[in-house]
Amino acid sequence: MPEYKKPIPVPSAEAQPYWDGLRDRKLLMPRCDACGKYWFPPSLLCPHCNATKWTWASTSGHGRIFSYVVYHRVYHPGFADEVPYAVAVIELDEGPRMISNVIGIAPDKLACDMRVEVVYQPITETITLPKFKPAAV
Amino acid sequence: MNALRDKYAIVGTGKSRLGQVGENSLSLLEEAIKNALDEAGLTSKEVDGLVVRGPDDVYSHHQLIAARLGIDVDFSTSLDNGGASQILSLILAVMAIEAGLASVVVCGYGRDSWTRTHQKGKGIAENSLIPAAQRPREHGPEFGHFGAVSQHAFGARRHMFEYGTTRDDFAAIAMAFREHALRNPDAMMKKSLSLEDYQRARLIVDPFGLFDCSLNTDGAGAVVVTSTERAKSLRQRPVLIKGFATHNNTKGWILGDHMLSTGAVESGARAFRMAGLGPKDVDTAQIYDCFTYMVLTQLEDYGFCKKGEGGAFARSGALRLDGVLPCNTSGGQLSEAHVEGMLQIVEGARQLQGVYGPDRQVPDAEIALISGHGGNQVCHSTLILGRA
Repeated sequence: MPEYKKPIPVPSAEAQPYWDGLRDRKLLMPRCDACGKYWFPPSLLCPHCNATKWTWASTSGHGRIFSYVVYHRVYHPGFADEVPYAVAVIELDEGPRMISNVIGIAPDKLACDMRVEVVYQPITETITLPKFKPAAV
Repeated sequence: MNALRDKYAIVGTGKSRLGQVGENSLSLLEEAIKNALDEAGLTSKEVDGLVVRGPDDVYSHHQLIAARLGIDVDFSTSLDNGGASQILSLILAVMAIEAGLASVVVCGYGRDSWTRTHQKGKGIAENSLIPAAQRPREHGPEFGHFGAVSQHAFGARRHMFEYGTTRDDFAAIAMAFREHALRNPDAMMKKSLSLEDYQRARLIVDPFGLFDCSLNTDGAGAVVVTSTERAKSLRQRPVLIKGFATHNNTKGWILGDHMLSTGAVESGARAFRMAGLGPKDVDTAQIYDCFTYMVLTQLEDYGFCKKGEGGAFARSGALRLDGVLPCNTSGGQLSEAHVEGMLQIVEGARQLQGVYGPDRQVPDAEIALISGHGGNQVCHSTLILGRA
């Protein structure tokens, strides 16, 4: 396998369970025990109702492209062979939004509100990235 | 009437050399402050307040600047609201003087971004403007997502989707400002920009191409703020501070509708209320233009046109010097120089002083609106100035 040259995430303490979940092919998000809402990235209080009790909960891994851009400029040498590539704001059906890549489709075929589903892409023994592909209809 | 309206004024404005200067940010800011004080007819010894900003890795900017000016100051600090900081520096100046903490406050911003990003023998990471410890290490870079261009491009894309906005709408903004820059001898950009030039330019982060992005600049700007009463004994015709406000969409740029509806909605409404004015009263607007799209959405958010109609407004010629809302009359950050909004305060004030020749002056300009936007795309500030 060729050497992985892209940035490898350095998990923050509060996001470690998120990365552990990805390694097990689960997309976990914080969900408030009090109001039931999800959010991302993790924080100590529920940003919706300030409750302190919450749980790492499974999500469907399905959502939509809220917005997307196509990188033509190389900002990091690890992406030199990838341009043009798409970076998107994904809105999960459970509500949270996150940055990711949309793969398996040409960037010029993308559209806002397109339905997508998560794809797990292991890059090291401990780190798996959540990427997205067009949802199977 | 708001008790602070017209009670304070800008009494001097200054710029440093702009462009590929090759000086550090502190030297450039010192140069701009010297020019602003000279214009005001003051020396640094009469300054008792200092609110400044510079590159994020220059610790205690205000202390270093005060030392260079050879002054002890009653009130001084550095700011952390990105491109919204520079209007905030004037707001803090007014608050400090009103509270009796200072009487003459210098506000300024200096940067050496061009020099920092053109250091020989250094890679792209070492040349980054963001200090290494402040760069995100998860939830972004692993996907090849880096920095401000693409964050703003997300907003542009969603706006195009919701309202049918096009890249040609963005082009109208870039072209209007370039036309203004050609009349401004200080501007970095010296060549005209056609629609064809815009369309042919390389894409950076689609939907943004080269001419949607602001300039990489070494440069600084500064203004001197004091009471309108004190201004009567000074050399320059003062420019009245009529209204100001801030609003920060700090929940996050990618959340809710923040990338479509900026903090200008709230900071604009409150600044207009303080000034007792509305969008129709504004003779010239100096809008924070880190990217073309940010001009389009802020014009909508301020109520200069309806939401979704910013593209048509720009294409109508409204933003040109002879349009209904002459906008970024210096060329702005897209075509004059990018000094994080400080030069837009300078330009707004000078238009109201009526210092320019007919090729560059907004005729009978009485009210200027200036905007600031930045940080992690969420901080916003608005300043409304009036002719004395």
